[in-house]
Amino acid sequence: MKIALTGNPNSGKTTLFNSITGKIEHVGNWPGVTVEKKEGPVKSSLLPKGQSVTVVDLPGAYSMSPYTSEESITRDFVMDESPDVIVNIVDATNISRSLFFTTQLLELGIPVVVALNKSDLNSKKGTIIDSALLSEVLNCPVVDTIATDSRNSGLGDLAEAAVSLKLKKAKQPAPAFSKGIDPNNKEEAEELDKKRYDFVSSVVKRVERRTVSSSSQTGQDKLDRIVAHKWLGLPIFAAVIWVVFSISQSWVGPWLADILVGWIDGFYGLVEGVIGEGTNPVISSLLLDGIIGGVGAVVGFLPLIMVLFFMLALLEDSGYMARVALLMDRYFKKIGLSGKSIIPMIVGTGCAIPGIMATRTIKSERQRRTTAMLTPFMPCGAKLPIIALFAGVFFNDNAWVGTSMYFLAIALIIVSGLVIKMITGDNSVSYFIMELPEYRFPSFKRAAISMMSRAKAFIIKAGTIILVCNALVQLLQTFTWTGQVVPEGNPGASILAAIASPLAWIFIPLGFGIWQFAAAAITGFIAKENVVGTLAVTFSVTNFIDVEELALVADGSQVLSVFGIGSVAALSYLIFNLFTPPCFAAIGSMNSEMESRKWLWGAIGFQLGTGYVMAFLVYQLGTLFTQGTLGSGFVGGLIASALFVGVIVLQISKTRKYDVQRNLKAA
Amino acid sequence: MSVMDMVVVGVILLVISLAVWKIVRDKKRGVKCSGCPDSGKCDCH
Repeated sequence: MKIALTGNPNSGKTTLFNSITGKIEHVGNWPGVTVEKKEGPVKSSLLPKGQSVTVVDLPGAYSMSPYTSEESITRDFVMDESPDVIVNIVDATNISRSLFFTTQLLELGIPVVVALNKSDLNSKKGTIIDSALLSEVLNCPVVDTIATDSRNSGLGDLAEAAVSLKLKKAKQPAPAFSKGIDPNNKEEAEELDKKRYDFVSSVVKRVERRTVSSSSQTGQDKLDRIVAHKWLGLPIFAAVIWVVFSISQSWVGPWLADILVGWIDGFYGLVEGVIGEGTNPVISSLLLDGIIGGVGAVVGFLPLIMVLFFMLALLEDSGYMARVALLMDRYFKKIGLSGKSIIPMIVGTGCAIPGIMATRTIKSERQRRTTAMLTPFMPCGAKLPIIALFAGVFFNDNAWVGTSMYFLAIALIIVSGLVIKMITGDNSVSYFIMELPEYRFPSFKRAAISMMSRAKAFIIKAGTIILVCNALVQLLQTFTWTGQVVPEGNPGASILAAIASPLAWIFIPLGFGIWQFAAAAITGFIAKENVVGTLAVTFSVTNFIDVEELALVADGSQVLSVFGIGSVAALSYLIFNLFTPPCFAAIGSMNSEMESRKWLWGAIGFQLGTGYVMAFLVYQLGTLFTQGTLGSGFVGGLIASALFVGVIVLQISKTRKYDVQRNLKAA
Repeated sequence: MSVMDMVVVGVILLVISLAVWKIVRDKKRGVKCSGCPDSGKCDCH
């Protein structure tokens, strides 16, 4: 038996899906989190004996006439795969909006059960919905559910009602107003929609009793006037992100990291003691420095990342991030994007891949491609160890480094969006309509689940891709091209140095023309965590977080001296790694979403150029301000930057010429 | 090569083989990036 979960965006479908299957799919307190269908078996404890049910979580939709690609997924699944029962999740706090879609589902003939979700929020606001009467007028079972409450959720009743409908093999009767109307006839369909709205209004009047009028201003509205305020909104957002970074990168995170690194150190010492001094140094170094040291250096940052994700999940769950989307709409509209583009970017702070996937909710092709191109600029979880490392070593672990990287990313996105708008010549304006979810006290459980999911992913990545890369890097820096072991004190003779050194000169104008940094930047394209792992292996630093030796929090002086670059070059290197193209997997996702080779290669070139020019400016201007002179390789970097800017200007002028010709023809 | 050398080489080979096996298995399942909870779904439409 197959059940389809359908409903408006942010009605709680995925939360309900997780509750009835035990899965941990990503949920968020805003519309558009789910962009594809997901399947899972319903927990046997919720079902009558002997029944087995598969449930399919579908992306949110406002109607059966799809507006975006993920709405098409829902329509196609319901129409083509004919589920046995449709469970329609209706947001009980806003049934007037939700029931339009319900009436369309009722016309399909497939049995429908309405789950009146978030009914706990109604109780708090004193809103009463007569479920029995609603069931009677809709002619289908209606069950009160609270998907976020595992004890009093009504999920058992919901599953029972769905199974019961299937066993009865009953066909869902269509609402009376739609009988005899041909939906394929445009005029009749429009007439049908009017009747649908009238029907929904009459139903709401009959079943809903509100003590607080929807038109009166609530405390939530007052709060919105502050956090989404034209002038106050951005400083508040900056303060929130700063607090998040302070806690995750300067306070709780490093404290936990010290404990974890102590364990990694202990393991390193244990293995070192077991293999003893008699082991071949090449072999022992591969195990100790390449594998344990390299992976340990990356894993050491795990607590910082976990705390950050926990806090971001709390913010998302509270409903605040939806306000951020609204806030950013004002700026994004000016560059030809809309607030809808900010949602993929916020999702991209976890990992760029789901962020890029989330661009599917954007209907305009140009906006979708632009958003997919710009989303990787947001610092994702894989980039956090790089931020944490450089903030800790060069900037005394100051939380402003992480915060400023987020705001620099937003500024870059806005400027880049404007440039892309000028290149494409598309001046179309789109409007962002988003139903703001209600503020709620965030769930620590959901935040913990989200955090653990990310932590698991990070550990698996460290134990696979990072481990293999670090072992390879260790081997490449141990041997020369002739197969000899690199003589002590001459690491430049290694294969790795020979490969990375020719590339290092490209980075001289950026302040880090050292082969180790070049090698780390290259391995970063496989996975961004590799930057930290490769730096650890190539500079022979077993870990970056150790209160005894190479303290991240208080004193990174030893690491600093090993790296051999100044803080300006370090900032430049950080910016280069954050704003150049993302890892290959994310590039693959960009390819899927853009559906255009021209756009993909354009995006990669644009990201590469942006990262290079930004790092060049930071290093050269930073050196000028701090030392009163320009940095090395200025002329070369200026030529490279001018070439990039020249290509952009050429593209813009081509578009303008084309526009002029088109206007003349039209005239 | 001493016995300990051989043991350590064996451990290294085992660890790397397991990591590569996991990466290859994930690729075959459509997961583009090992560990990522979402990347298996990025070619779905």
